[in-house]
Amino acid sequence: MTTADLWIALPLILLAVGALLTLLIGAVTRDDTAATAIGVAVTLGAACWLLQTPPLPVAPSLGLSAAGLPRLFSCFFLLLAAGVLCLSSGYNRARGIGGEEYPATVLFATFGMLALASATTLLTLFLGLEAMSFGFYILVAVDLKRATSGETGLKYLLPGALSTAFLAFGIALIYCVSGTLAIHEAVQLTLTSGRPDPIALAGWGCLLAGIAFKLSLAPAHLWTPDVYQGAPAPVVAFLSGGSKGAAILLLLLLLPHAVDASHLRIPLWGVALLSMLVGNLAALLQNRVRRLLAYSSIAQMGYVAVALVSGKGGGYQAAAFYALAYGVISLAAFGAIAVLERQGCGETLDDYRGLGQSKPFASGVLTLALFSLAGIPPTVGFTGKFLIFTSAIRSGEIALAVIGVLLAAISVYYYLKVVITLYSKHTGTADASHPTYPEYSVLILASTAMVLLGLWPDALISLLSHLLP
Amino acid sequence: METYLFYILATVTVIGTILAITEKHPVHAIVYLVTSFFSLASIFFLLSAPLIAMFEVIIYAGAVMVLFMFVIMMLDLGRADEAKRPPLRQWFLPVILGGIILVSIGVLAAGYVTTPHAPGAITVRDFAVTLFRKYGVAVEIISMQLLFAVVGALYLGRRRP
Repeated sequence: MTTADLWIALPLILLAVGALLTLLIGAVTRDDTAATAIGVAVTLGAACWLLQTPPLPVAPSLGLSAAGLPRLFSCFFLLLAAGVLCLSSGYNRARGIGGEEYPATVLFATFGMLALASATTLLTLFLGLEAMSFGFYILVAVDLKRATSGETGLKYLLPGALSTAFLAFGIALIYCVSGTLAIHEAVQLTLTSGRPDPIALAGWGCLLAGIAFKLSLAPAHLWTPDVYQGAPAPVVAFLSGGSKGAAILLLLLLLPHAVDASHLRIPLWGVALLSMLVGNLAALLQNRVRRLLAYSSIAQMGYVAVALVSGKGGGYQAAAFYALAYGVISLAAFGAIAVLERQGCGETLDDYRGLGQSKPFASGVLTLALFSLAGIPPTVGFTGKFLIFTSAIRSGEIALAVIGVLLAAISVYYYLKVVITLYSKHTGTADASHPTYPEYSVLILASTAMVLLGLWPDALISLLSHLLP
Repeated sequence: METYLFYILATVTVIGTILAITEKHPVHAIVYLVTSFFSLASIFFLLSAPLIAMFEVIIYAGAVMVLFMFVIMMLDLGRADEAKRPPLRQWFLPVILGGIILVSIGVLAAGYVTTPHAPGAITVRDFAVTLFRKYGVAVEIISMQLLFAVVGALYLGRRRP
């Protein structure tokens, strides 16, 4: 282990030590504030460390990458985790979710995401994804007082374990053909320009099936509404932004190395179309806000799949941009829902009636996030969708682009339905409870990022086109 | 000879695993799973990876399955009315599968010539160096995973208020 190794592995080490320290703190004091504070400090510190240029692109003896794309996404995951921890402390106190396990598990899930981001071999990639999923299996069922939380956890765990089996088998088949676990060579040897090995294609099929679950692409989307409805709101923000961002990053680490990615066009095309259709049409029928957002997330991941189909025509940059944008939007949307629910809001659409007057701040943030999801300028959602559909048209996927734009237009209806409900008249009791300072700061930062990235996306786009071929 | 053995053992592994999934009685399922682990270990031996074969037997067939058995006994999932000795027809399949594995191991052992340092053979040392040098990070990630599996089990297993 050299200094360069330590330099590159330090964010991972920080997170691991932070998670262990949080667990140990719990043995001394029952106050969760200290554990949350450690978590926020560790994530922000690791994010700051990642901003500097590393001495080498790959750690010499550890095989961890410190290239631009992994560092950008690692920073994003760390900031997201910090935001989620800030939102959780108030929410968990109101819901009676106690214990140091919660912040420790959030740190551990982030550790998994960072391990995935900095992977140079398929093995580390898989283990990182699994570490992250392990964290989420616990976090989804963390609310012991809620009757449905066990059910939610099981609904996430069982398909999750199945998708892991698919992923592991896919990686094994790819290894079987290429004889190497190194990402670059394994992808190059299996997705060659000529007629690829059928075993390699079976491997890629299994891998895509496993990832489709993590991204909740139809037809592997069935867990999404139940988990979005049953899990604590900050956890949903983290799941929706972080776990899906990590799954997109996994594909972005693999697919650009392919000599000829068109072998994967048909399955990706299919799931993209199906996800957009199922997500958008099912969301029209929902009358619970969280389920509506769950189906909307299936549709949004369908748009990402469109970008992945469009690959070399700028699609990879568009997918990376949308992953980051969707993370910020998720944090804002579910952060606002967390604040509203902490103040006693129910889960059906009727419970949100008139909240625009009684709780203007959180409702405003939720409205902005919904505008963003609907793709209304000047928010980041518009820019992301614009990038995706232009890349689709540029690489000749006209049919998919047209269907996507039409379905996005339909989706405006159900997003605006929530906004109209929020700002319609309601003769309810106005209570004077306010968001806490951590909640204010996270929601303001997320909203600012949504608007700024929508108005001036050039910097991020040029950075991404520099990082991705 | 080795090719035939491979196909025979592979069939036994697949049959054992399928029976482990379809079997209703948990203890019987574990016995089938152990059977499939044993034949898998023999396959590893055929692939000239004796170390992995030993690990398969000691860790999976030995430690992990015994732990499973312990948990099932503790939870008392087996129905009391079936505690008596199983009828003869239930012995039939396990005995056949186990017999095949035993004969295969016998055949392997009979034809085995000890070559102390065969060229290209993987020693324990090579294995350890690859595992802890090249894939050291992976070992650390797995250790964190196991820790949090315990943390999660402890947390979620708490008595609900």
